[in-house]
Amino acid sequence: MSDVRAAGAIYDLGYQRYGGTRFGRSYSLRILIAYSFRAAFGIGRGEKAKMMPVLVAALVFMPALIQIGVASAAGMSQMIHYADHLEFTAFLLALFAAGQAPELIVADKQHGVLSLYLSRPIRSTDYAWSKIFALFAATMVLTLGPQLVLFLGKIFIAKEPWKAFVDEWVKLFPILGGSLLVSLFIASIGLALSSLTTRRGYATAAVISFFLLTAAFSQIVQAIGFGGMERYAVLGNPAQLISGFAGWLFEIEARRRSGVGRAALPGTYYLWTMLVVTALAIAIFLRRYRKVDV
Amino acid sequence: MALISARDLTKIYPGVRALDGLTVDVEPGIIGFVGANGAGKSTFLRILLGLLEPTSGSVEVLGFDVGRDVMQLRAQIGYMPENDCLPLDLSGTDFVTHMAQISGLPFVAARERAAEMLRHVGLHEERYRLIGSYSTGMKQRIKLAQSLAHDPKLLLLDEPTNGLDPEGREEMLALVQRTGREFGIAVVVTSHLLGEIERVCDSLLAIDAGKLQYHGPVAAFTERSRILLVELDDDVPALVDALRARGLHVEGTSSRFHITMTDDSVFDAVRDAAAELSAPLSRLEVARHRLEELFRRPTAEVTHV
Repeated sequence: MSDVRAAGAIYDLGYQRYGGTRFGRSYSLRILIAYSFRAAFGIGRGEKAKMMPVLVAALVFMPALIQIGVASAAGMSQMIHYADHLEFTAFLLALFAAGQAPELIVADKQHGVLSLYLSRPIRSTDYAWSKIFALFAATMVLTLGPQLVLFLGKIFIAKEPWKAFVDEWVKLFPILGGSLLVSLFIASIGLALSSLTTRRGYATAAVISFFLLTAAFSQIVQAIGFGGMERYAVLGNPAQLISGFAGWLFEIEARRRSGVGRAALPGTYYLWTMLVVTALAIAIFLRRYRKVDV
Repeated sequence: MALISARDLTKIYPGVRALDGLTVDVEPGIIGFVGANGAGKSTFLRILLGLLEPTSGSVEVLGFDVGRDVMQLRAQIGYMPENDCLPLDLSGTDFVTHMAQISGLPFVAARERAAEMLRHVGLHEERYRLIGSYSTGMKQRIKLAQSLAHDPKLLLLDEPTNGLDPEGREEMLALVQRTGREFGIAVVVTSHLLGEIERVCDSLLAIDAGKLQYHGPVAAFTERSRILLVELDDDVPALVDALRARGLHVEGTSSRFHITMTDDSVFDAVRDAAAELSAPLSRLEVARHRLEELFRRPTAEVTHV
């Protein structure tokens, strides 16, 4: 018996106390943000978790890459416009948020992981802000990424890249601003709606329904009219809202036939609507985490 | 310095007093925290972690005021909740590493300690598997591993043997004991089964309906709860008289009765008395009172389990 124990002792080094560095709250938050950002793309998770993010990423980058390929082969300089691309991305981004916002927060609630987080040195509002920041950063990759690809593509397939850059560089500001607000808008709506339920399926359904139903309702109002007020209904349709916002940002005329064109609202209306909805969504989300019973 | 020092701690939920004026000073060691389901154990643990705010009263843990210094305190506490708390789509090692990092450990140290703790709980082989594929027993073990990952000074284990088979319970209790004895970490372990945790604890804290019932060494409490059940093939009233004459507390009929176990000399007393009277013993069994019975009824009326 004592021989066995002695032999075991060679391998068993016993418990080691930890005397090294312990970082504070800001480190814990950085860890949680990085972890959640990776989770948004399914990195470090199973195969199934990667399907949705990879699909969306492929779809948002594809048009930009194909355009550049075709343009450089055929020598065309006319490319898809940033504003159109942002509008196109927004739809896929909504799908991404519907899939990944629940991934970031509902699973923690559903499986009780939140109680482990909150028994460690972070506050529940820290947790909430980390999740907002992580999903925002993830959606930023999907909006800003393809826009920058388009931007670089335009410059490098031009006959005189330097001249193209000088002409084009001011566009970087609307590119950055547009990606920023559209990402934050969709990420915060996704998180706010997901925070209302503890089941992932319901959360995904809620986010998708929000974008579909608001669009449908707005279209109906625009179609049947509402005493001249129906032109404001474009603000209630997320797709038109983003379209109007992008048009204003890149200073392009909306097509006459489109809802945005018909409504002919000042561009800042779109900006303010997006800002207010985003702020409201963040407020709802934070409120859900202000006092958590775990 | 007391490990935990509660002063008049009260927590009122609508319609329920979960904790009712709890005042107690707990010294380090392995502390068994017993009470029936719903006695207020989990409420107390969650107040210690600052997850719940008490309605009134105050509590200090490891010298920190829970209301004021909860963040410093949490860095030094390991918590194993009673309910599910595991992400299913992470590997064991990734999960424990992540939790250690959240507690402030740099990545390399977190990784190393995760490996050590997974070995300690016997999950070394399974550390790269997804947690979703773990058995109930393995899930309980990884819950323990994550609570130890950041080298806490105090462990709060809420019903660690829940859902385990008898063998799993034994192994979990052995782990708890080893953690407390060899690692020198103070452990508060809750259970609604006294018999289970008394062997591994240094002291016991018993509450019922949010009130303190007992706090002290294990032995003194278990003496109150152990009984020797005696059955005879025949009525032998003289045996009961003889046992009472030896100063034992006997309850029941003359063919079936139980004796409160003060210590092991009760066995000798029964053997000697039965031999003297040639009483036809058919059954001897050590049983124990239920926790509820211990608290709610005077000893004289207690029936065996």
